[in-house]
This record gives sequence, structure tokens and C-alpha cells, in this order.
Amino acid sequence: MSCQDWQTRLEAYVDAELSPQEREAFLAHAAQCPECATATLALAEAKRAIRRTGRRYLAPAELRSRLLTDLRQTGANKASGPYQPRLVHWPRQAMAAAALVLLAVGLFFLVSQYRRPNSLGEFADLHVANLASANPVEVVSSDRHTVKPWFQGRVPFTFDLPELQGSPFTLTGGRVTYFHQEPGAQLIFGYQRHIISAFIFRETPQLAITPTSFSDRSTSFNLQTWTQNRLRYVLVSDVNAATLGQLAELLQKN
Amino acid sequence: MKAASDRGREFENLALPLLDPLYNFARWLTYDTAEAEDLVQETCAKALRGFDAFTPGTDFRAWMFRILRNTFLTSRTGLQAKLTVPLDPEDEVSATVTWETPEMLALASATREALQDALAALPPAYREVVLLCDVEEMKYAEIAEVLQVPIGTVMSRLARGRKLLREALAGERDFVARKEANKRR
Repeated sequence: MSCQDWQTRLEAYVDAELSPQEREAFLAHAAQCPECATATLALAEAKRAIRRTGRRYLAPAELRSRLLTDLRQTGANKASGPYQPRLVHWPRQAMAAAALVLLAVGLFFLVSQYRRPNSLGEFADLHVANLASANPVEVVSSDRHTVKPWFQGRVPFTFDLPELQGSPFTLTGGRVTYFHQEPGAQLIFGYQRHIISAFIFRETPQLAITPTSFSDRSTSFNLQTWTQNRLRYVLVSDVNAATLGQLAELLQKN
Repeated sequence: MKAASDRGREFENLALPLLDPLYNFARWLTYDTAEAEDLVQETCAKALRGFDAFTPGTDFRAWMFRILRNTFLTSRTGLQAKLTVPLDPEDEVSATVTWETPEMLALASATREALQDALAALPPAYREVVLLCDVEEMKYAEIAEVLQVPIGTVMSRLARGRKLLREALAGERDFVARKEANKRR
């Protein structure tokens, strides 16, 4: 497919609507076409910006409880059933309050479960956006004693980089990145022809991700995450989980 | 009888997690708190009444959003929206979308307020499809089900909607830049 053909498919790529084969072909093309890569990056950023802006209103609690009463009443009318009279002894407000508490607890779990793989997905986005970027690293150095000091004053924490000599990994460089308005470090490692992003952020509640490793089947990325010295580490790459684990071990040794 | 109340509970379990997304969507359609609340309430009531027609295992979210949207379109605000916005002919505009880098970056780097205004100013037919895709993260097929249009139409409206957003924001940026330049003069 030519560049012109791909330009009509960029949005489908960003919306994750390409088939796995198409996606692979596109990534191969984007690796050699700065124009498509830049456009894809801008589209992905735009999509994220729209999502942030569009997710704006929460249903008022009052609407929620009114709906719940409505639903219960309709349900009760339909089934003027055996268990109804027993419940009538309870004051209506107490029942509504209890239902709300249950609902809140249920929703909390739902939301937190929904959120976790999602925030991991956002790291995969950051990783891809960076791959597509024209200048993926801001500090280009394979020397950990250059990269680490570069972050001083740029991110509100400090971290240690491992000795990579004798390991199959190389350090390419780093850049400052943001996640939920929080600055963090993104380190780029190389493994053979693959690129691995290591994100380091201060641990925040949004980042409290429980599964330690995670394969995003829709994007075929592997992720691995842990906390260390109250910092949240997230590794993202297309290398296999075992290799990612190897790098994680090196980083944890510090 | 037990079956009926079980069905009610099943509906509740399915519908309550959608409350925030439905309300958010309703607010973006109506721009009015009270109207959005009524819309969500009416949607839930209609959906519960028609719940027997819903096939278990199919896309409940798309079904709910479709009911909400249809309810909106028959409301007064919705009818006005439909009348005041002539849709472009549904051809494949995506094929003719051109990429201009400054324009594309305008959207990515826009402030929240500017983006909010631009989204609000988007004709409803484009706003809804952008919201469903980017905010609700629905697949094209799911959006097609909500809007009851072919997938090709979803794609062309999406491309057009995003293009309009980019143009609006690029224009906004030029405007700000011109204003600053004038100040300096």
C-alpha cells in the first residue's frame, strides 16, 4: 500500500479498527514514513484530548436514587410477589440508603476494575505515540551517568539506572512524559531490534495497578509493572513477557 | 412472577453502570442539566418496558444509547437540532481528507476550554459520532448500531467531524496569535 492509501487508514489505526495484519503492515510503513508517523501521533494525541474533554459530566446522585426507586417500583408492580410485604416494614429512606450504599460499593469495584487495564492501555498509547514521534528521545545517551542527571529538575523524584553491561539490553535515552498531568520519566531501552519503554512515575492512586504483568491482546503489547521506593514502574514493549521480566529484574536490583 | 422481578434486577445490573456514560452523552446532546436528567430517566423507563425485546448476549450498551438518542431526537431540542443541521451528502469524505500538519497539531495541543467549545460548536450529527468513538470508545460497528447507519457512514462522519474540530481549533489558534501580534504592535 502506498503512503496515499495509508493516509485514509490512519484514523482506523488510531481507533484500533485495523486487522492484525493491516496493523503490522501499517507499523512497518510508519517506521519508514515520518509523515504518516507524525500524523498518527497527532491523531492519537487528539483522540486522547477529546476523551479527556468529553468525559465531563457525572450523573447526579439524586438522579441515580430517583431512577433506582423508579426501577424498583416498576419491578414491584410487575411482581406484587411474596417477598414484597416483608420489605414494606422498612422505611423507604433506609432501603434507598442501603441500596445506594450497595450501588456505590458495586460501582466502585466496577470502576476500579474498568480503570486498571485502561490505564495500562494508556501506557501502551504513550509508548506507541513515542515510537511514532520524530524525536523519540530528548536525552540521547547510552551512559546511565548522563541520562540520570539529565532528569534532575525535570521530574520531581530521582531513580537509579542499572548497569547494563553484559545484559542483552542497551540504553537509548530518555524523555519527560506525562500521565494524568503528573510528570514522569520515560527511559528507552533497546533489545535486539525491539524498543522497550520504561515509565517511572510517583505512585498515585490512579496508578495503583494490581496485575503485575499484562498482555494487551488488542495491541499485542506486553506490560509489566511494579512499585519500588514509592515509584511506579511500567515497562511496555512488543518483546515477550520473559524478556520484559529480565529487564524488570535488572531495574529492581537497584 | 419471580421471573419478572429477576428480569428487573438483571436490567438494573446492566443499566446502572451505564448511568454516567448515558448522562454524559445526554448532557452533550442537550446542554441542559434538567433536560439531560429527564432524558436519561425516560431512556431507562423505555428500556425497562422494552427489555423483553432485548436479546440477551447482544450489545446492551449500544441498545441503551440507541434508545437515548432516539428519545432525544423526538424531543423538542432534538427536533430543532435535526432541523437546523443539514448533513452533508453521505459520501466517502474520508478518502478526500488531507493532512496538514499545523492543523493536526492544533487539536493535540488545544487547551481543554478551547476543545470544549469546539466540541460544543460541532454540528450534532458529527458531535455524537466523535463522542461515541473517542469518549465512549465504541467500535465502528457498535456506533453503527447506535445510529442505525452503515459503518461507512460512521467512518465518513467521524473523519469529517474530526476535520471540523481541527479546522476550528487551528482557526482559534491563528486568531489568538493575530491578537497577540496586534497587542505587540
